Amino acid sequence: MRILSRAAGLVRAAAASITALHLCVMATASQAEAYKAPRTADGKPDLNGIWQALNTANWDIQEHAARPGQVVALGAVGAVPAGLGVVEGNEIPYLPAAAAKKTENFENRLTADPEIKCYLPGVPRAAYMPYPFQIVQTPNYILMAYEYAGATRTIYMDKAPPSPADSWMGHSVGHWDGDTLVVDVTSLNDQTWFDRAGNFHSDALHVVERYTPLSPGALAYEATIEDPKVFSRPWKMSMPIYRHLEKNAQLLEFKCVEFAEELMYGHLRKQPSK
Amino acid sequence: MSHRFLTTMGGLAVVTAAALLPTAPVAGQPESSAAKTTGAAQTWTLPRTADGQPDLQGVWDFRTITPLERPKALGTKAFFTEEEAANFEKQENRRQNRDLIDSEHGSELYPHGGVVPYNEAWYDRGTKIVGSKRTSLIVDPPDGRLPALTPEGQKAADLRAAWQRNNQTGHTEADSWEDRPLQERCILGLNSGPPMTPGPYNNDFQLFQAPDYVVILNEMVHDARIVPMDGRPHLSIRQWKGDSRGHWDGNTLVVDTTNFKRETSLAGSSANTHLIERFTRTGANTLLYEFTVEDPTVWTRPWTAVIPISKSEDPLYEFACHEGNYAMAGILAGARAREKAEEEAAKKESK
Repeated sequence: MRILSRAAGLVRAAAASITALHLCVMATASQAEAYKAPRTADGKPDLNGIWQALNTANWDIQEHAARPGQVVALGAVGAVPAGLGVVEGNEIPYLPAAAAKKTENFENRLTADPEIKCYLPGVPRAAYMPYPFQIVQTPNYILMAYEYAGATRTIYMDKAPPSPADSWMGHSVGHWDGDTLVVDVTSLNDQTWFDRAGNFHSDALHVVERYTPLSPGALAYEATIEDPKVFSRPWKMSMPIYRHLEKNAQLLEFKCVEFAEELMYGHLRKQPSK
Repeated sequence: MSHRFLTTMGGLAVVTAAALLPTAPVAGQPESSAAKTTGAAQTWTLPRTADGQPDLQGVWDFRTITPLERPKALGTKAFFTEEEAANFEKQENRRQNRDLIDSEHGSELYPHGGVVPYNEAWYDRGTKIVGSKRTSLIVDPPDGRLPALTPEGQKAADLRAAWQRNNQTGHTEADSWEDRPLQERCILGLNSGPPMTPGPYNNDFQLFQAPDYVVILNEMVHDARIVPMDGRPHLSIRQWKGDSRGHWDGNTLVVDTTNFKRETSLAGSSANTHLIERFTRTGANTLLYEFTVEDPTVWTRPWTAVIPISKSEDPLYEFACHEGNYAMAGILAGARAREKAEEEAAKKESK
């Protein structure tokens, strides 16, 4: 993005981004109307496949310029790529105390981001991490398997059992609204973030996801976020998610526990005796 | 489940295992039990998915108290009688009950001065032996025991035994997390293998089928094995759970797995494992799980186990192992504290 000065510039930038997003959403919706997805053997829109978002929302869900990373040794490799953001209107309606907490999270992101410890990503973050995920669609259950941390969630399309407790990936109940898979996600714990920039939520988080086929190669993804402990009103993320077209596409293991152990337990390693 | 039905599964187990390894001698037990129950088999039709595959989907529970290996004392006895089975279950349930272990005096499971890490409340293991009344899950070799180890396999087994003894007597090896097993590090589930073997808890998995994929999702450590069914070749890289490829052999799902990174949670296995798993639906509520392990690094011949599995009405829950792994920091901190105490004691003595 251009670097604009002070208030006037910020207002202009916000207005521009709102317009851009608005146009983008409009285009998305009309394409979806024109496109009818292929069907599974039981007659539902076929979402089976390996998918991945192509944006930088995992670094920061809001519009952001490129910025340096926090580990000097990583140089350009550790830098944050710029992005237009995925929040409709770009503004996240934090309550005052929550806005302060977000700033604090951002400052402490090198130690506080749960992704650094290879923790399960939660919803919706799992959908736009820079790793592929696979949708395995059956009539009664839709499995979402994510490459990152081997995370999974099962969407109940029929007879959902009650959720026994809050969890990292939450409790997902789905239904079809035309060609759109709508997933209602509750029972999420308060341990996950939305991105590496410290955007966060509480255990009151309620997410409604919509997956709409746009073309053979893309889905429109929307997540409506509601959390009265943290936000003054519901807000929405939207982005396309793309299909992996490689014939040999397959989820590979990213069992990142082993990459986080030195960080988490290194201080407890036996030191050579003096 | 009726006894009659379980007998059917046992009969099938023997027959299919024999078919899998045609050179293996069939264990000496009447296989006529399969014939006796044809009446029951007729009332059930194999369900199919909308695209015509045998439908193996659902949540499945593989718990059992039948050991992988036949206890040595049983010699050539491949099957229990009804009475022997009841006695075995009673003894084994007592022997394994953590609350009945007297750590002061030790037991078969825990040596004198041993540390019993969990009490019985945490366990959700099988309490019944398999319906066939087999004395082991291993059906081949016919003695129901793991085959002879190679010299390399023996060396690894000795190290494992020493590690285990040290662990149980509180001389925990924990210079770093790398001294701890993969399941304690939450890298692999302790019973999710692959292959899956009954363990102390979370003996369940859910099977999903889409046109080109089958997924075996173990509750333990949320392990999802996604198995392509389109005949593509194996990868050239190695992974913790290996690289699985599947196909249908009649109504049986066959999953072929190679390219393991190192051992899996199957005790004794190495990276050189070639695993063949077979899943056959045998009834509305039953699935037969057979697997053959070929690992010439460890064992002098392949071996096969058969586990009858039951349908579960319970859902899978999230097993966020790593996220809740307070134990790892505790184990390492404990080892450091012990070293410090020993150092200080040595200093005092030398004064």
